[in-house]
Amino acid sequence: MVEFRLPMLPQPGELVWSVNINGTEVKLNIESNAILLDVLRDQAGSLGTKRGCDMGTCGCCSVLVDGEPRLSCLTLAADMNGREITTVEGLANGHQLLSQNNNPTNEEIKTAIEGNLCRCTGFQQIVDSIRAASDIIRENNDIEDSTSAKSDPHPGFMEGN
Amino acid sequence: MVKDKEIQGYRQQPGKLPFSKPGSGGKNSFSKPINLENIPVSQNGIKDQPWGPHRHDSLISGQVIGKSTALVDSAWKVTGQAQYGDDVRLPNELIGRIVRSPHHYAKILSIDCSKALDLPGVVAIATGNDAKNKFGVLPVTKDEHAMAVEKVRHAGDLIACIAAENENIAREAERLIQIEYEILESIHDIKEGLEDSEYPIHDRGQYHIGNSNIQKRVFQEFGNISSLEKNTVVSHQSNWTFAGVNHGFTEPHAVVANWSPDGRLTLYTPQQVPHYVHRSLADVLEIPMHQINVHRTFVGGGFGGKSDPFPHEMCAAILARKSGRPVRITFDREEVFWVNRGRHPSKIEMNLHADSIGRICGIETDALIDGGSFASFGHVTTYYNGVLHTAPYEIGAFHYTGARVWTNKPASGAMRGHGAVNSRCAVEVGLDDLAEKLEVDPITLRLANLLPPHSATITGFRVTSIGMRECLERVKEESGWSDKFRKMPLGKGIGIGCGFFISGSGLPIHWDPNKFPHATVHLKIDMDGGVTIHTGAAEIGQGSDTVVSQSVAEVLGLPLDMIRIRSRESDTSPVDLGSYSSRVTFMNANAAISAAMKIRDELIKAASDITGASEEVLVIGDRRIFDKNNPAIGVSYLEALHKSQEERGALISSGAYRTPPMGKTHKGAAAGLAPAYSFSAYVAEVSVDVETGKTIVDKVWAAHDCGKALNPLAVNGQIIGSCHMGLGQVLSEEMRYGRTGHLMNPDFLDYKIPSIHEMPEVIPIIIESNDPEGPFGAKEAGEGPLLPILPAVCNAVYDAIGVRTEDLPITSEKVFKLVEKKCREQGVSSPLDLKPPRLEFSDLQDTLEKRADLHSTRDIERRLDSSREEYYNGAIFGFDPTKSPEEVDENWSVRVIPNDDYLHSPRLAGSAWKHIERRKMGD
Repeated sequence: MVEFRLPMLPQPGELVWSVNINGTEVKLNIESNAILLDVLRDQAGSLGTKRGCDMGTCGCCSVLVDGEPRLSCLTLAADMNGREITTVEGLANGHQLLSQNNNPTNEEIKTAIEGNLCRCTGFQQIVDSIRAASDIIRENNDIEDSTSAKSDPHPGFMEGN
Repeated sequence: MVKDKEIQGYRQQPGKLPFSKPGSGGKNSFSKPINLENIPVSQNGIKDQPWGPHRHDSLISGQVIGKSTALVDSAWKVTGQAQYGDDVRLPNELIGRIVRSPHHYAKILSIDCSKALDLPGVVAIATGNDAKNKFGVLPVTKDEHAMAVEKVRHAGDLIACIAAENENIAREAERLIQIEYEILESIHDIKEGLEDSEYPIHDRGQYHIGNSNIQKRVFQEFGNISSLEKNTVVSHQSNWTFAGVNHGFTEPHAVVANWSPDGRLTLYTPQQVPHYVHRSLADVLEIPMHQINVHRTFVGGGFGGKSDPFPHEMCAAILARKSGRPVRITFDREEVFWVNRGRHPSKIEMNLHADSIGRICGIETDALIDGGSFASFGHVTTYYNGVLHTAPYEIGAFHYTGARVWTNKPASGAMRGHGAVNSRCAVEVGLDDLAEKLEVDPITLRLANLLPPHSATITGFRVTSIGMRECLERVKEESGWSDKFRKMPLGKGIGIGCGFFISGSGLPIHWDPNKFPHATVHLKIDMDGGVTIHTGAAEIGQGSDTVVSQSVAEVLGLPLDMIRIRSRESDTSPVDLGSYSSRVTFMNANAAISAAMKIRDELIKAASDITGASEEVLVIGDRRIFDKNNPAIGVSYLEALHKSQEERGALISSGAYRTPPMGKTHKGAAAGLAPAYSFSAYVAEVSVDVETGKTIVDKVWAAHDCGKALNPLAVNGQIIGSCHMGLGQVLSEEMRYGRTGHLMNPDFLDYKIPSIHEMPEVIPIIIESNDPEGPFGAKEAGEGPLLPILPAVCNAVYDAIGVRTEDLPITSEKVFKLVEKKCREQGVSSPLDLKPPRLEFSDLQDTLEKRADLHSTRDIERRLDSSREEYYNGAIFGFDPTKSPEEVDENWSVRVIPNDDYLHSPRLAGSAWKHIERRKMGD
């Protein structure tokens, strides 16, 4: 890619950034003043990490850094060198809360997600779904594989129908 | 004459294996028996129908309708795979940036882009001169440009746009663009908008109202206003101030424009109404609509805030055209507030009158609303502030004056509960006050004044199904109302509020509904048996893809996993008005049902051909079509499908929906007309700290009549989410403007959306009134549920501490000041010594209860009786219910223009009528 640089402004330095994103070692050249959110979206291809408010109020940009939730819009990417980052795309194995406490109370759930603004649900359903997820984890229930076969359009008839 | 040789089909050779059935295989290889619990009694099932049968009963196959269903696109979202606006990344993209005005109101004298263009990495710059054609939501009020032409109208208005290799360069280029302004005197006070001005913010030519900034004015009078004084025994009067609020959707606006090598434009945008953008792009770019493909991305919340065609969408297309490369523009949160289109800041005067037997003999409303700098949906909003509170109550007379003015603020527009929320709050608080003055229970007062099913409102809206009574009864019972109302200790209170909202707008803004349907849905089924739905209904997170899929699945007897929906691109979607005015479930699901019925007929005919059973006895069950008297006789869905494909390959059908002819003919009669209306009643319980004024909402019982919950999970979600959004407006949300007119809180730190800790427990209660024209009986559930929460909380605050607020949001400071005043009135020094309000019912309570009981019987009879007579608003006052009152009483007027008498002492918004339209000057 052609480099376009602004001649009149002091330039940030570059550094080699080496992190683990969702279990994969990633090495990128980033600008020393880059924000983690921008690096994740624009360079690492994690478009699931969203920009919502730019100031740490909405929680859209949350990622886990070494297992702890963190707002990527308020995080300097350079500081994350060598860390393990989990984005929404890598969350299949469970949320930070549930990994530490698989039977949280409603209050614990509320505290865990208090940094997120949600404009659709009114939060109640998020609490319900975390509760449902904790049930699945505790009871060791299987979740259907999304790639398993869908319905047969040519079903047979069973007596008793 | 030689006959064409008939083409012979393939003849299978004896002894060879038959062809395999393409498309067969998969899970659940046996058809599930029909579960009679899902089948309504009208179809010999055992599902109760307390509201009577429905025209879609015979289409119920028991698959998905009425069952809580995860949204069909939810897996994309929870795994982070959904592509929202800014997630569309095309190769070789440029970053677009908007240059915005720092001034509230100014003439642009010159723009010099030369230095910016010389900056390496800047590829294109456009200004207002590149696109001078106007656009806008409504054909009659096109008043926006892609970028300012001649003048800017609010801080944040668009002046130019830049496409550059990256954001840093675009920002530097923005600094290098030199703009000369001549600053004009700006207007910020809503009342000033009513006055003549040297430079009105817009010039509407001969339709301009004087030299004022009045964008729209409405006068409506129904009934005999002059007799009001004679009949009234108690009145309520209040003057409300409602702050403007923003949608606060999570995804900021973002757009990507790309002109493909064949010269067609694709615009990727998170839009609620792709069709408006489609039209506007054609206007602005001066190309035909067929040259444009509007691609709706996933939408990260809209709530009305993504339904206008936006200038930045035009900018992206213009920049992409100039640069020959894809251009992506993404807003930061501050820019979202500059675009706004949120709920109007409003001043509303509410006057309610009741007579000696507790009838609502008059409503007089005056609403002045602040439109900011552009029209947006403003004509409609101005009407909605009045006409949407003419139900669910029977009213003796209705008088409404409304005006929408331009000010130099970011434009107001449509937001969830469009135009109805603020005045509904004022009405419902007013009813609480009337009940207090009549010494009756406010719920009983409401129950004794409801319109019956299949009636007409005072303004002529046709009400079909109505579950208002059931909503009120349920929340009363479940909240333990009778033990709590006016009985709780100081600081604890309970309050009621109701709502009424349109289920789809009767008039498609851009066309005559008789010439083109409101909604169209296409279906395509090929050899594999999967059903592809094409619809233009915009999935904005509300679940429109799911509800349309559910409707098709139900009619065809298929599980949802066999349905795939394509609703994103205008290239493949039928023209559709998109997601506003809560129209999608009602209109698109109806269109989908009609399309699916055509396929269903084909499948039944094919099954009849194969089995020899007559079409009349064949029914559709789980992936199978069979004789209802002998289910062993039947074929699989796939067999029937392949049979009907023999002569023509894929099955294709198209279904459409249009509203029936409705309403009266006076000017503005179409505003508020809908094929059905939703109703809701909420009870809120609050705690108010009298020493600090802080209000906490503890619990909400929320009953909503959505006709039929096609997907109860989604309906409950809409109810709880509406409570959250409405709570924001009543407790904390406010677009605050400083003394110089500057917006002080365009960010989520200072614009206070309730967090999880402010959110009460909400008990959603679904009432199913089985609308005769709704799909399977359904009506809207997306906007109406927001309305009642505001007045329910206000009324609960009164119950708790005895103060009535007329100023939203009710922040601690405001409540504290009211408490101080109350202390002075009661002569107590500590707010802890305040006496909470108490109420001894008068004799009227008994009268009202009896009337409510009678009406309850009347309503049940009416909803079950298909040969019922007409019922016009006014019957409760002694008019013949079967005739419109203006036909029988010469004093009963319908007026839409004020007379001189009124103009002598108009109300605030009513004073807009003092100006003369320019075309009528010199008459």
